[in-house]
Amino acid sequence: MDILTQLKQQAEQVEVFSLQNEKTTVEYEANQMKTCTVAESKGTAVRVIRKGQLGFAASSDDTAMDKLAANALESATYGDIAPFSFPDSQPAPIVRTFDNVVAYLPIARLVEIGREMLDLVLPVEPNARCNVSLERSLVSASIRNQKGLDVSFKTSPLSLGLEIDRIEGDDVLILYDQLGTTVWEKDYLAFARRLVEKLKQARIITSIKPGRIPVLFAPTGTLALGLPLSQGLNGKEVYKGTSPMAGKIGEKLFNEKITIIDDGTIDGKFASASYDDEGVPRRRNVLIEKGVLKGFIYDLKTAAHSGVESTGNASRGLFNPPEPSGTNLVIQPGETPLKDILASMDEGIIVEDLLALGQGNIISGAFSNPLALAFKVEKGEIVGRVKDLSIAGNIYDLLKNVEAVSKETQWVYSTIHAPYILIPEMNVAGKA
Amino acid sequence: MRDRIQEALKRSKADYTEIRIEEKETTRVVFRGKELELANANIDKGGIVRCLIKDKGWGVATFNNLDDLLNKADQAYQCAQVGSVPEPIELASVEPVENITTAEMKRDFRDISLAEKKALAERYNQVVLGHSNKIIDTQAVYSDSFTKVTLANSEGTYIEQDRPSVVVGATAIARDGDNVQQAHESLATIQGFEYVLDQDELARKAAQKAVELLAAKPVKAGQYPVVVDQMLAGVFIHEAFGHLSEADFIYENPKAREMMTLGRRFGKGILNVYDDGSIPNQRGTTLYDDEGTPARRNWLIRDGELVGRLHSRQTAAKLGEKASGNARAINYRFAPIVRMTNTAIKNGATSFEDMIKDIELGIYACEAYGGQTQLENFSFSSGYAYMIRNGRIAEMVKDVILAGNLFTTLENIDAIGNDFKWLNTGGGCGKANQSPLPVGMGAPHIRIQNVVIGGE
Repeated sequence: MDILTQLKQQAEQVEVFSLQNEKTTVEYEANQMKTCTVAESKGTAVRVIRKGQLGFAASSDDTAMDKLAANALESATYGDIAPFSFPDSQPAPIVRTFDNVVAYLPIARLVEIGREMLDLVLPVEPNARCNVSLERSLVSASIRNQKGLDVSFKTSPLSLGLEIDRIEGDDVLILYDQLGTTVWEKDYLAFARRLVEKLKQARIITSIKPGRIPVLFAPTGTLALGLPLSQGLNGKEVYKGTSPMAGKIGEKLFNEKITIIDDGTIDGKFASASYDDEGVPRRRNVLIEKGVLKGFIYDLKTAAHSGVESTGNASRGLFNPPEPSGTNLVIQPGETPLKDILASMDEGIIVEDLLALGQGNIISGAFSNPLALAFKVEKGEIVGRVKDLSIAGNIYDLLKNVEAVSKETQWVYSTIHAPYILIPEMNVAGKA
Repeated sequence: MRDRIQEALKRSKADYTEIRIEEKETTRVVFRGKELELANANIDKGGIVRCLIKDKGWGVATFNNLDDLLNKADQAYQCAQVGSVPEPIELASVEPVENITTAEMKRDFRDISLAEKKALAERYNQVVLGHSNKIIDTQAVYSDSFTKVTLANSEGTYIEQDRPSVVVGATAIARDGDNVQQAHESLATIQGFEYVLDQDELARKAAQKAVELLAAKPVKAGQYPVVVDQMLAGVFIHEAFGHLSEADFIYENPKAREMMTLGRRFGKGILNVYDDGSIPNQRGTTLYDDEGTPARRNWLIRDGELVGRLHSRQTAAKLGEKASGNARAINYRFAPIVRMTNTAIKNGATSFEDMIKDIELGIYACEAYGGQTQLENFSFSSGYAYMIRNGRIAEMVKDVILAGNLFTTLENIDAIGNDFKWLNTGGGCGKANQSPLPVGMGAPHIRIQNVVIGGE
């Protein structure tokens, strides 16, 4: 018997989530095409609400469905009272997440794209060692519940990752970026060319006097700001009272140049879909508008706890129940052309990449990280790479005082769309 | 199953074929704040076939459906055809083994009811919640997993081994106005359920630290002599040095190989470091790695000199060394890569009192929030720390992040404590998307001169 039908007889509410994934990966290690992997996985996760109590269980063994059902019911015996109901079917935006070109990209083509990346890097830097990972998947997910909701979606994620290592004597440089998309992107090598540009710029090593100086966060560097923000904007942290932004909706927390949107409806992007992982339509959620806090992101459970609606941000793997999670993080562009921002800097740094992001007490907004890649700007010109520096600050202070946000934006690390952000003065530490 | 595995191995046309099947059952109970977030059990069953065609490359197939091993082995073989390595890939020889073992636990956690596991996590959660009204959020976790791993290869190895794990953990989050601080404690074992009972003290410690941190001032950035506790020393040697000892980092990279030349000085004569998966009952203990190589003790630094590194069969062959038992995978979805097992700084001779008595102004850094390395550069944050003033432990400070260059830092270790201990914490190590892998860490207190501490 179908597990939904079976469990409906034993619980008031039932949700069945099935996931199937076929993933093909081609990996170059140190410029050599060395490993090809085909991974097939599938499984079923079940949530039940029995006598008001919520239970969860998952299994990748399709011969153990009875045990899965029993585990879910046992889990409900100990579960807390569910504050929510599984949703009815709702109309959802049409979001492109599937492309036959991507889904059926031949292995030979993946191998070739890897070669194309190496051909961009190696002529410029023959000593570089590249690790390339090319991965395309065909994912089918379905969510059904006792109300008759029956949502299924297919996505075709393609991710191209390029890591370039260059070691010269005691100088070590590691650059990484990736393209993540679910529809074929004509200029799929743009991110790799950008990385090669950085590699060229990084050849000249210079120095800067540590202290309080202007810091320009490049789109890749904005991750340092985005990570604590994403945590603070998560409805779960808000409900638990750990978010520094809890209870501050409507307040102006940041400079008016800062607008931040969580958008799960952008065609072709990694974190996009018509529905979230509970079957609630995904949305475009404006979280911070001109510095004013507008809202948080929620799944069904945290929304119910907070007395609001789900924002369509439920996300889950097979073995864990849904949690609220950011989709695509969009930091809106500003009005200043990048060249004008650079021209305004007498002496400062551009932060491209930081080490050890996400460690420490990040929910507080505080961070202190060594810089993995940073450039010095002198009288409006990028003059070279600076090493052995670290930056520290708290985003809740830093983003109150933003000098400029660039017109230009980039998609970085697959799910972040960000401009350059200039902080007029912050702590840069290093060996003087 | 054994017959089917051996049939698939026999029929494979690859130069080397390996099949690993895992059956895993996990239980997890999570309290957050006053609420139970989760009390549930999961089932995970699947397999991996890995084929090597020496003059082409590796092909891998992973799957949940175990009915069609022959087809999966063929798929892996087809994948291996795609590779194009310039030189043939060799594997260091390992004596084939046939061994069927089962885990021995005093109290097998699979026989304990979910109710009892829930009650245990709830008790630790209550200890944290009840500690102070400044505690605004908690997390208390009980989790166990039992994995039966079957590994066989085309050279005649056939191993069945069990991998049990039980973990309890408590996180306390304390708040005073805008000031939010957290502390975490955990305990993990591959032994039985009884080991995680009666750990109220662990939960209390997490709560106490979080509340104390509210009153702590941020550390003033600068260079200090730093005394590091066992936990942070263990994390340091794992993160900053251990990862560089993983031969997959150097075997294709002449420059990195030069940096890690055996015989190079890696600290003063007092420094000794090893990795050992054969020590009974530690977090990273594994009888055989995921290529069937038996675990053993591998010395990495002896008397301050680099003497060894960690290998898979492939990296060992490439560097003309022996397989070291360090090819590990977190589960059947991954091929094994070079990983640590239990990594430790050997016990030294200096007492804690002697270590701090001459420090006029320094830092005593304890426990670890996490860390990251990028080749010789590392950064990791301590959970909490104290100033050392005039040879004594003084006020608590927060946001202590140690960053620096590995070689300089190792050279600056000028005292090794006589109070070695293994850290049986939960969590694990991440590398190449494989996380968390259970690893053990051990160390005595150590003292490092001239550490750059970031901060305001």
